[in-house]
Amino acid sequence: MSGFVDGVLEFTIPFLSSVLRVSVPLLFAAYGGLISERAGLANVALEGLLLLSAFVGAATAALTHDPFLALGAGVFAGAFGGLVFGLSAIKSRADHIVIGIAFNMLVAGIIPTICRAWFGVTGGTPQLERESRFTSDATFFYIAILVGAILFWALRATRWGLRLKAAGDQPDALLVQGVSPSFVRIQAAVLCGAVVGLGGIDLSLCQGSGYIRDMAGGRGFIALAALIFGGWRPVQAGLACLLFASADAAQMLLQGKSFFDFEIPNSIVQIIPYVVTLVLLATRRSVMNAPRAINQPV
Amino acid sequence: MRHLSSIVTISATLFGLLLALLFTGALGENPFNVAQILVMGAVGSPTSLGYSLFYATPLIFTGLSVSWALKAGLFNIGAEGQMTVGGVVMAVVGILFPDVTPWLAWPLAFAAGFASGAFWGWLVGWLKIQRGVHEVLGSILLNFVSYGIAGLVILNIFRNTQSANPETTEIGLGYRLTILDWIGGTSPLNIAFVFALILAAICDLIIRHTKMGLRLRWIGGAPDFARRSGVSITKESIRALMISGGLAGLAGASFVLGYMHKVREGFSSGAGFVGIAVALLGRTNAWGVVGAALLFGGLQKGSLDLDIDTEKISRDLAMVIQALVVFSVAARPVIERPIREWLERRETKKNDEVSV
Repeated sequence: MSGFVDGVLEFTIPFLSSVLRVSVPLLFAAYGGLISERAGLANVALEGLLLLSAFVGAATAALTHDPFLALGAGVFAGAFGGLVFGLSAIKSRADHIVIGIAFNMLVAGIIPTICRAWFGVTGGTPQLERESRFTSDATFFYIAILVGAILFWALRATRWGLRLKAAGDQPDALLVQGVSPSFVRIQAAVLCGAVVGLGGIDLSLCQGSGYIRDMAGGRGFIALAALIFGGWRPVQAGLACLLFASADAAQMLLQGKSFFDFEIPNSIVQIIPYVVTLVLLATRRSVMNAPRAINQPV
Repeated sequence: MRHLSSIVTISATLFGLLLALLFTGALGENPFNVAQILVMGAVGSPTSLGYSLFYATPLIFTGLSVSWALKAGLFNIGAEGQMTVGGVVMAVVGILFPDVTPWLAWPLAFAAGFASGAFWGWLVGWLKIQRGVHEVLGSILLNFVSYGIAGLVILNIFRNTQSANPETTEIGLGYRLTILDWIGGTSPLNIAFVFALILAAICDLIIRHTKMGLRLRWIGGAPDFARRSGVSITKESIRALMISGGLAGLAGASFVLGYMHKVREGFSSGAGFVGIAVALLGRTNAWGVVGAALLFGGLQKGSLDLDIDTEKISRDLAMVIQALVVFSVAARPVIERPIREWLERRETKKNDEVSV
């Protein structure tokens, strides 16, 4: 009997720690996305923001060997990317999704180009040694939870939160108060970029050791799915991230394993998180109450 | 005045190109040199031109695909996945029935590609209409699922064990598309390019001159009116996404049937995503899509030479240029509105003078 318990523990403890680890970039990206979407800025640029900050962080670490400088640079790059995305989406009055896709393409093209110009390789940054990156996963997880808690409180109890929600639901109401909805949305985009930037740093300086091509691997989109699944509310979105992270952790655990002499092909194992995300989204029709003025020009 | 939108679109495209060249300047390359490499690489010789048209071919299909859905007000980001599924299914048909004669093989392969792409598009539509999953999110997630299915088919079911590459065994001889060597020199340009142009003409015809096209434009442009006229938005939306998916499902033909004669992992090389840019730049007009696809196909070919001929930049510049073009074309209304207002003011002034 105790052998069985040991066996289960042997399986669950690495699984749980793996869930917490892979949930970190999802949590940051989902909270960043939540800030911008609650302000009415539809955000498919999360993927690009993750990649941008992961790259800038890793490049800074490779050049300066200082992880904290790299953290600052990554967060700044995220905020700057958010500003570019927000300004172009709002000022052009174009569809936010079109601008988001263009932003992702821009990032996907600029990073390898800069990589070649600076490091001579198109793939990514050089491998980082231990001193120039972060080694504790848990710290980032706690920060992510803290961000979620602050967001939960701020959306309910602060003027900033009320204005954010107004910009997303009824931008005209802000105009009456003499507050510019465009300004609220743009500052939300900048803040979103900074928060997503923490997730990017976690990818390249904590989980990885340097930037590798396309390292976000769709996490930006899964985070978007999580925040929609969580009904644009911080606590629920955070739980959704943990749910999707467990699908990802299960995927990693199942790779190369066989059951009754049958090895599940890796190609199928790898799509588990996406299939789980789709199935869960498809079952939650009733809770999807998007901000009313999302993707509407102001 | 009538051509204002086209003029502004073309200027915005040029502005995007200019920005990208300035970016190469900032990285320490000579922008004029880069421009020259791009142009010579794209159209410098019959073979270069052939490669440009070869790269443009899948973009015409995916561009038409995204445009079709956009006409109905739906954003199909899933052309990449639909193209992947379609290309894999085409190859599977060619591997399973290798001895079919060419005149049956081509329609068979194309029908299989269209049908499987349409199924993938239907999934997006079903998720949206029946389950409330926004089509952007649904189609992006389905892209990842399609990569997994392609991997399963290529690596586990039909893998060519003789090859070091992740690819399948070869399709039957009858499925190979004719190479157009009288245009494209030694490039793999094949008859799929001609099929793409014919398809563009058909799409243009359907959208402008048939009831089906009218309904499509109604549900996109005036959904309330469509509903009151008895058009079922649900049915039409799902149908639009199916046709959109089917068109993207054909996009792999040029590569799978015309060039490699097998399917390899990652064969779509992002053509589905570039198709979004092509559709936006072509303003969802079928011939606009062809023009945009030719431009981006040429850019992709031209930028391949950047890897060799420059020290600082690479083929990824094509992506930067495409993104900047989409940005500036999306921002078109900002420029267009004031010009239009100014023209209108001038017009009314002139009319006033006449009446006095």
